[in-house]
Amino acid sequence: MSPSARVLPMRGRTRAGAPSGGSEEALRDRLRALEEEIARLRGEAQARTGGEGALVALARVLQAGRGAARWENVARLMGAFYFARHSEEVDEFGFDPRFTEAVRPLFEFLYTVWWRVETVGIENVPGDGPGLVVANHSGVLPWDGVMINLAVRHEHPARRECRMLALDMFALLPFLAPLLARTGAVRASQENGERLLRKGELVGVFPEGVKGVGKRYRHRYRLARFGRGGFVRLALRTGAPIVPCAVVGAEEIHPVVAKADWVGRPLGLPYFPITPTFPLLGPLGVVPLPSKWSLDFGDPMPMDVHGPEGADDPILVNRLSEQVRSTVQRMIDGRLARRRSVWFG
Amino acid sequence: MGRIAVTGTASFVGSRLLRRLVEARGGDAVVALDVASPPAALPVRHRAHDLTEPASDQRLLDAFREEDVDTVVHTAFFTNPRRDAAYSHELESIGTLGLLAAAAAAGVGHVLVRSFTFVYGARGQNPNFLTEERPLQPNPSLAWVRDKLEAEQHAAAFARRYPSMKVTVLRFAPLLGPGVRTFYTRILDRRVIPVLMGYDPLVQLLHPDDALAAAEAVLEAAPGGAFNVVPSRPIPLASALHLAGKVPVPVPHPLAYVGADLLWASGLGEAPGALVDYARYLFVADGEKARRELGFTARRSSRDALVAYLGYRHPAAAGRREEVHA
Repeated sequence: MSPSARVLPMRGRTRAGAPSGGSEEALRDRLRALEEEIARLRGEAQARTGGEGALVALARVLQAGRGAARWENVARLMGAFYFARHSEEVDEFGFDPRFTEAVRPLFEFLYTVWWRVETVGIENVPGDGPGLVVANHSGVLPWDGVMINLAVRHEHPARRECRMLALDMFALLPFLAPLLARTGAVRASQENGERLLRKGELVGVFPEGVKGVGKRYRHRYRLARFGRGGFVRLALRTGAPIVPCAVVGAEEIHPVVAKADWVGRPLGLPYFPITPTFPLLGPLGVVPLPSKWSLDFGDPMPMDVHGPEGADDPILVNRLSEQVRSTVQRMIDGRLARRRSVWFG
Repeated sequence: MGRIAVTGTASFVGSRLLRRLVEARGGDAVVALDVASPPAALPVRHRAHDLTEPASDQRLLDAFREEDVDTVVHTAFFTNPRRDAAYSHELESIGTLGLLAAAAAAGVGHVLVRSFTFVYGARGQNPNFLTEERPLQPNPSLAWVRDKLEAEQHAAAFARRYPSMKVTVLRFAPLLGPGVRTFYTRILDRRVIPVLMGYDPLVQLLHPDDALAAAEAVLEAAPGGAFNVVPSRPIPLASALHLAGKVPVPVPHPLAYVGADLLWASGLGEAPGALVDYARYLFVADGEKARRELGFTARRSSRDALVAYLGYRHPAAAGRREEVHA
């Protein structure tokens, strides 16, 4: 949210010169609104110079010379560098705007240069109110979620934040879990999804779960079972429309040729992938291959026609779930038929 | 209208609530029940009472009848883990049982029991917001929380058996603010703080003023049932430590459990190893029910509570920004 995107609510009338209300009370109200706006802009300006604060703190400590090696100064430096990249307050699910801002250049590089993502049908995503984006899951690591989030943010006119629901294996994984929470992902559960949708947020889910993200290369683009229809119940209860989304290209970023589950299980992982580069090349093996991606958003499927009581009808839930699954599979098949090369699309 | 009896008036929450009640209703309308006497400057009725003595419930019944008590506020709980687990059990679990029995026999209309969001247990599978319906599943090896869970179970059982007596349980998020002294503030007073490598859960820190406001709202409405009392927003643990100007040192979690247990057993640590879960997983509670049914929302966020604590405990640190210690 850049400051220029917001318009001062009183600007037009102030320029016209004639206070329309005329009363002292109205003037005072406008003055207060302007003061609040100034305080907010000043706060934002200070927030933007957080990085400078870290360097200034470093310079001060270095100036102090040898005597500066004290815990207070270590703590001050650590804090300054931390808050250069992190907001002081996050939203209730842990989304940190400044941290997301800091890592976004990497994501944007992957989106535009590395995978050259082609997004089609973004207008099918609702511009406001709740919505449930349902996509196929693939690629070992949850990069497809990051790309869907970025596509909605960059290509949709409303610049919405798509809150991705993350699998337990990612949302509870040490190191990855805090990163996901800070960039806006939320651990997948009925309670969390319902809370977000009731607040009118756009939510993204991968109903295939572990079966999708860890499938072998020879099973690529064949959708696994869509869980037990939890995402449909979520949409029915909240009346949020379902937007099917087909991700093509993510299956090739980490082609899983074999699985060594006996390695993963003691580490608490549901699977341990072996790809042409991992674990052969060590840490380099986590660099994804530069395939050409496409994201297709299909026509939204209204769910409020069935009413919230439909969530308790398992036959209806299963039918809708299968309907969404076959739609996504059809969109994938159509895209695959037109694709000539994995690397160039 | 009968009197309000307050237990645990020597505790942080109990003493402040007592003061507020005396200011609002006068010293004659409130009875302090505690082994220690309330501050001499506070004009309030006091009955020395020990919840752990054998005939505690009989003596309480007499006290409730003689003083014409119609509301009981039960705040006598330990806010720190204790090595003497048997005594905590006598006070928190058995003491609550006796208190509820005496209140029911005396025909008390409303009992307010203080509880903690710690009773939900910190688990990876917890949703981001724990509602009051969520089953309470703390780590069974953690005696400090188990006794509070038992007190809640007694409260629920008495509410079922005596429909005429309303029992309200307030689950407070961890308190932080001026005057709070607990095991986590003692950890927070250190310069170097161990954290779990790869974990950074959201934590809730409740300002005491919000906790007292919620208790007053409950005494007004006497709703019955459990309510979470939580700050307006949680804060990531790492952000809280950096705001407080600490040096966090990441420790691998298997080591942290063993290390905390060793320190606890040797008398150096502040908390047993099972409490490490609370620095590893979420136990963020949802304050929606209190907003809906009591009209209570916390006025401060977790960050505000932390800043208030730092301003009280480390005024120099909270004000400093520019100068470098050399």
